Amino acid sequence: MSKVMSVAVKNLRKHYGDKEAVKGISFEISRGEIFGILGPNGAGKTTTLEMMEAMRSIDSGQVIIEGIDVTTHAEDVKRIIGVQPQSPAFQDKSKLTEIIELFGAAYGERVSPMTLLEEVQLADKAGSYTETLSGGQKQRLSIAAALVHNPKVFFMDEPTTGLDPQARHNLWDLVGQIQKKGVTVIITTHYMDEAELLCDRVAIMDNGEIIALDTPKHLIGSLLKKGFTKQQRVEQANLEDVFINLTGKGLRE
Amino acid sequence: MRVIIVVVVALIIVRLAYWAKSRYWHPKEQASPQYSKAMTPWQKKFFTVSVFTRLNTRRFFRDRLAIFFGILFPLIFLFVFGGIYGSSNNNVTIDAGVINRSSSRIASEFISNAKSAKVIKVDKSVTTLMAAENKMIRGQLDATIVLPPSFGVVASHQTYPSGQAEVYYTNNSSQAGQTLVSVLEAEFQGLNAKYVPVTTPFTAVGKELNQKSLTEFDYIFSGLLGFSIIGIGIFGPINVFPELKKQGILRRFHTTPIKVWQYFVSMAASQAIIGLISLAVMFIVAISVFHIKVIGNYAEIAIFLVFGIVMILGIGLAIGGWARNERQAAPLGNIVVFPMMFLSGTFFPRYLMPDWLQHISSYLPLTPIIDGARLLTTGGQSLTQIGSQLGAMAAWLIIIYVIAFRVFRWE
Repeated sequence: MSKVMSVAVKNLRKHYGDKEAVKGISFEISRGEIFGILGPNGAGKTTTLEMMEAMRSIDSGQVIIEGIDVTTHAEDVKRIIGVQPQSPAFQDKSKLTEIIELFGAAYGERVSPMTLLEEVQLADKAGSYTETLSGGQKQRLSIAAALVHNPKVFFMDEPTTGLDPQARHNLWDLVGQIQKKGVTVIITTHYMDEAELLCDRVAIMDNGEIIALDTPKHLIGSLLKKGFTKQQRVEQANLEDVFINLTGKGLRE
Repeated sequence: MRVIIVVVVALIIVRLAYWAKSRYWHPKEQASPQYSKAMTPWQKKFFTVSVFTRLNTRRFFRDRLAIFFGILFPLIFLFVFGGIYGSSNNNVTIDAGVINRSSSRIASEFISNAKSAKVIKVDKSVTTLMAAENKMIRGQLDATIVLPPSFGVVASHQTYPSGQAEVYYTNNSSQAGQTLVSVLEAEFQGLNAKYVPVTTPFTAVGKELNQKSLTEFDYIFSGLLGFSIIGIGIFGPINVFPELKKQGILRRFHTTPIKVWQYFVSMAASQAIIGLISLAVMFIVAISVFHIKVIGNYAEIAIFLVFGIVMILGIGLAIGGWARNERQAAPLGNIVVFPMMFLSGTFFPRYLMPDWLQHISSYLPLTPIIDGARLLTTGGQSLTQIGSQLGAMAAWLIIIYVIAFRVFRWE
């Protein structure tokens, strides 16, 4: 991987009253990398993400995205990032094409809704109202809406929470396609299988600090080196493999 | 009535055309319009506003509940208040049948005079007294004038023509009948003077002032326009914003470069379009059903009302934009709206209030809108003559929008 720096976070801090939610974290992400931020609830993942997205003020420290400082040039940063919220919602009585048009307009761009909807396999739903979409379809529409302006960095906050296995697999494929375009993807998740499969590197956060940062393979390797063994020998397949094998990979909506 | 039919037909045609277009006409998407036309930064900013305005307006007309509250709800009030105040019609007309049994020239002249008289509305289908009586019994006619065969004929011992018109009426329509008798007597006085010289030392003459007195309904109508503006400008946003915030829809927009002013301008433009349509419907109903006489210039009225909508919308944007959820928006909205609604003259005219209350209520933001709307529509004034109202509205506009911009929150 050619190591062009895409995102740099230096000594980032955030207080909420007395509580220090983010305690001076630092990391760098290369262009085209899928970077996972893992951690239990309240670890400071969302706060970190929001500071990087210019949605929340930064107490101290610095975030540089594609060479632009988030603190001083918030609007310029917003023009080159795409943000996928945790539970995407859209105004009702709006067609999918109109939602895409609306997001394009928010960036001042005239876009081609059908092309974007085709990319996320929603072309057949183009004329429907948003309230008729399933959870997975809303996630995909949300991704299309976040890509209207060809962002260089793409933030996804727990994108697969609440989706069925087919929709999750489909979303992982989509994330892979986005990465292939050279987009840097930053993703938070509670699902370790998702992180292991998807992410080039992961940062594990707890209590506002990064307690581990490496590729999933290395993290597992170093744990094993410490002499860790699981109680039970891991099967060559798991229940999800059974489920997908029986029900197929095709999307259900 | 004709106006309503034309408008309804026009709306149906537009709707059908729109439906047909969306159903049968699928334009080919341009190959790659992503970065097709280079726009200047300002063009981009207004492109944002125009798309948001267009899609926002379109959504309104897909939402039956919004249409009900935005357009039909004020109409219901209009019908209720119009029913109470609108029926006090000063121009009395009498529906009368005229049966002419005389062949004299005077009789036919008299008939044609009667037909052009303002007070009498002649039912031409009635030709016999029998038919007239049946119609009077059914209440379709108030009275019937009968000219006997001798009417207008010069009798053998006289040098001038004479005659007696008979006015028939039922027990229930005696008032109309008596009125018709005195109308005819007044008419005959002129006729008599032509044949027999008479001197009339004492006379009375009516002089119409070149002024229009406003009816109570004129006041009510402008008040209802104000009520409708509140519905569109305040109740709209304070119901919609908490929902948009709850679902994170506004927050999502905040991740894009869109600015608060762009969002506000697009809201103002679409609410102005919706408001103008809603108010136009009210005008059509008021004119065609309640016979309100609009003497103002429609372009001026429209400009003034748009100004009013945009100003009042600022209150909705401030409350809805500040509130984090409906528990904050609803009470604050009611605190602001209800005093304004009752004190600014929406449901009853301000001149009925004690002086001190009139004085206080003149400072409310809605008052100059209602007063100005009345002065423009039925008061015979033009935009240049209502400077004090426009000034008050401009002052409120600045105050309201400064607050709205300061308190706005995306989530």
